[in-house]
Parts: sequence; C-alpha cells; structure tokens
Amino acid sequence: MIFDQFRRYCIAASCLLLITSPTFASTSPTIQTCTSCHGADGLGVANFTPALAGLSEAYLTSQIELYMTGRRVNSMMTPMSSLLKDPKLQKQTLAYFAALPAAEITELEKPGEHAIILDPARRLIYQGDWSRDIPACSTCHGPSGQGVAAFPRLANQHSEYIEGQLLMWQSGMRRGDHNNVMGNIASKLTKTEISQLAQYFATVK
Amino acid sequence: MNKHMLFILKTTLLFSPVIISTSVIAEDVLLDRQAPIPAAEKSSDSEYLVPRDLSLIPDTPFGEKVKLGYSLFVNSQTMRGQYVGNEQTCSNCHMQGGARANAAPLWGAFMSYPAYRSKNDKVNTYAERIQGCFTYSMNGLPPEQDSPEMVALTAYSYWLAMGGLLDKHGMQSTEIPEISDAAIQLGGKADSFEMPDALAKKLPVDKRNALAGRGFPKIAEPELPASRERGEIVYKEICASCHGANGEGIKANGVQSFPPLWGAEAFNWGAGMMRVNTAAYFIYENMPLGKSVQLTNQQAWDVAIFMNTHERPQDPRFTGSIEETRSIYHDTPVSYYGIVVDGVLLGENSYPSQAVDEKGE
Repeated sequence: MIFDQFRRYCIAASCLLLITSPTFASTSPTIQTCTSCHGADGLGVANFTPALAGLSEAYLTSQIELYMTGRRVNSMMTPMSSLLKDPKLQKQTLAYFAALPAAEITELEKPGEHAIILDPARRLIYQGDWSRDIPACSTCHGPSGQGVAAFPRLANQHSEYIEGQLLMWQSGMRRGDHNNVMGNIASKLTKTEISQLAQYFATVK
Repeated sequence: MNKHMLFILKTTLLFSPVIISTSVIAEDVLLDRQAPIPAAEKSSDSEYLVPRDLSLIPDTPFGEKVKLGYSLFVNSQTMRGQYVGNEQTCSNCHMQGGARANAAPLWGAFMSYPAYRSKNDKVNTYAERIQGCFTYSMNGLPPEQDSPEMVALTAYSYWLAMGGLLDKHGMQSTEIPEISDAAIQLGGKADSFEMPDALAKKLPVDKRNALAGRGFPKIAEPELPASRERGEIVYKEICASCHGANGEGIKANGVQSFPPLWGAEAFNWGAGMMRVNTAAYFIYENMPLGKSVQLTNQQAWDVAIFMNTHERPQDPRFTGSIEETRSIYHDTPVSYYGIVVDGVLLGENSYPSQAVDEKGE
C-alpha cells in the first residue's frame, strides 16, 4: 500500500516537473521520475532523499542492484528500482546522476596531514579507533569523504541520511556491502559518534 | 570452477641452491637491509605496548619532527618521485600509523636496532633499516641519514616506543625524553640508548628486541600445500574489491587509497612482503581492513602465494642474472623470484626498480 501511494506521489510529482522543468526535453521520463524526489540538481531533499550528485556510477549501480535483488530494502527505492530493469536505461540514468556536479570541496584533507586531531568525528575519519578495530573512514571514503570508486562520497550528504544509514547498518537493516565491512564498522560506533560523523560529513567544505 | 582447475601452477625449481659466502659479495653490492620481518607467537592483548595518544605530541621542535614523521608515514605519497617509487604508503602494512601490535609496529622495530646482520656482516642502525624499506617496499631511493625525512620517521618511531614503554611500566606522568637525532637514528637497542633508570632496569638491552606484538604473528603451516588457484578464488571474493581485479589497487582523484599488490606500482622483489610466509602472517592478522572477515589459515596461505607469484619491480640487488640473483638473495622456498610459474619465469618481466624519477609529482 505504501509503495503504491509513493509511486502515485512520484508519478504526480514527475508530471509536475515535466511541465515546469526547462530541461525535461533533454532527460528521459525515468530520470524525471528520479529527480522528482532527488531534485533536478540531484542534491536530494533534507529529511527525505539523499543527494545523488557526486556519487559514482559504480556506487549507484551497486545500490540499484541491491534494491532490485532485495538485498537492500527501502519502501521507496525497492519499487522504484524496478524502473531501471533495462540495463541500457539503467546505465543512462545512473550515468546522468553520477555526472551531476556536487559541491566543490575547497579544503580537501588527506589522511596523515595532521597528527593532532581533537574533534572526535574528524579523528575517526582520519585516524580511526584501532582499539575497536575501526579503520579511518577516509581510507575507503577518500580525502574529506569525497568518495573512492564504489565507496560512496559522504561529503555534503544530508546529515540525517548519513545518520539514518549508519543506524541501519548497525541494526542490520542495511546490508549488501562487500565483506560486511560497513556493517562491521557501524556496529562498533556509538550513537553519539554516528551523529557527530553525520554532522561532520554533511558540512565538509 | 573448471577454469580454475585448469589454472595449474607449474612451478619448477630451475636452480639448485648455490651457497655463496658473504665475502664473495662485492663491497658495492646493495646491502641487504631488508631483514625478514620477525614472526613470533601471538601474545595476549595486555602485553602489547600502547603508544601515547597522538594529541600528546609536544609543541616543541622535537614534537614537530614527530608530527612530520607521522605525516610521512601515513601519507608517504608526499615523497613520491624523490624517495618513493610506487603507490605504497608505510601505513598500508604498518597499520594504525605504525602503532598497532602485530602489524610490524614501529615501536617493536625501533627497540630492535641496531642489530647485527650476518648476511652483510654489519651492524645496521634503525635508520638503515628504514632505508631498506624505501629501497624495497617503497621501490625508491632512501633518504640519507640526518635528512629531515629520516630524522622525522625515526623520531616518530622513538616517540611511539618510549611513550608505550613508559606507560606500560607505570610511568605515565614521565615526559618522553627529547634525545638527540643521532641517538634516535641509531635505535633503541644501542648500549648508549638513554632511558629513564627505572625503565632501563626493566628492559636490559638483550630484551628490547623481543617486545610482544612486534612483527607479524606467525601462523601454522597450511593444512594443504598453498595453492595459487585456490588463492585466486579467495582474492576475487575478498580482496579484489579494494585491491583491484589485477592487483592494481585503487587510486581516485589522484589520491592513492588502496595499495597495488603487484605490478609496477607495488613493492619490489626485494621487499619482505614478497615472502609467502610474511605475506600470509600479515594477511591472516590484518586483512581485510577492519577485520570484518577472518580468513582461515589455509586461505591466508593460498592468497599469499597467489599475490606473490605475480611480477613486480625488479630486485634492486639484481646482478644481471635472475639465476644468480635468486641464488644469492632468494634461496628460500618462500620466494618465487626466479621460479617458473604458469610457464613464466618470475623476475624476467619485472618492472623498473627504484623508479623515483619517472613519476615525480
């Protein structure tokens, strides 16, 4: 029922966008369905949808596959992913979002640049906490969380989305990562750390 | 599956061992400073040194050296082209910035040098041991003793070791003594090495190179002989997501994120990690990152032999003859240099060693 309601909402919203968007002629109806929730700029909507701009095609593809095969479950995205069954359409759609510009990171920080880091979130991001077998987030998510290949960009992502996803990794609601790397790390994070990390990544400059 | 079964390892020992005494090696031959990483029985967690928190590095000229050492160690690519000739960073293998027990911690190595090495009939200092890392693991050219980089890397090692030792022996409130660059580059096992008296009594020279958690912990021999074809399956399932389908690692936006394991950008044929046993010990204890999965003993050996039967940069000690180089430096079953694997002689198609001038940033 929820799926049907959501589908109707999205179709209605995409129709609206079709009429109002000046770019509709250059994008497919499928892309417009996605942008109806994720925004024409792919930047998502706070408390609703994550930003897609800045995420790599490799990551987007892996997530759509997880939704389609039921390994990642979301009341909105599970039904929506079926729109991308056609491989050609899927590639075209995901490449479109992967190419959308994300906010430029002007103060890119690489691991190792600072020995002394007092901010607890930044410390986890660049040094990890090895007493709990937590590697530095930036090892996989890159300098300033800008993303590395199939490891998603976290920089400038909506904080409530990052927080919600980490809590879902922790509870086992979100799955499908290789070697259970993210599930394993999330399970060791405290709620406070999750909140701090989400805030930090959301506001990376 | 059949495809894997067909992937048969054809290993042929081409050369019988040749015993060459050290006196035959000419003076100008590159000294073998890449001693095998020590492999010890695993100790209980409580025995390991825990270095002090990085935030306690003092705001002094000495502290600045320590901080620089940390930065060079965790992002060694800042030395690319000058001292580093590949896509490796020290902390790729020495986890947690060289502070982690059982991941060849810097504090364990620092307290083990200077050390007499029968292979070159010479006492090697700690700085010379680090120079070995640059020559082999980093496929580069080592920074000179007393260079800012060497002073920094050794100061960082010393700071980790001394803080860990003081704390372990109940001396948490004692500041880490700021001793001379020369004393630090010599290493913590020197007779002349200065330590607070209470600590020196507890740690006589002959006990310093046996700190729990140094090197990589030894694992048992595999139940079945290590298999390259089983190792390939392990690699594809568990390792390739970070290290690439062809061992090439991942570099994104110009930043090295995951190290290549073989090929031109990997450690060379002289590095400790090219030994199958050293690699198996490291992998079993430290991989995959974060230890979300524990490989079996067999998987660790299998994937180690798979990794180490690929081409990589030439051994910098290459004499011009693979056979001779093997007989002098690789006369051990844990090295596949100079061995025919799958019809190809390893070492024959090696990439350039000491590749520091080609891709400098």
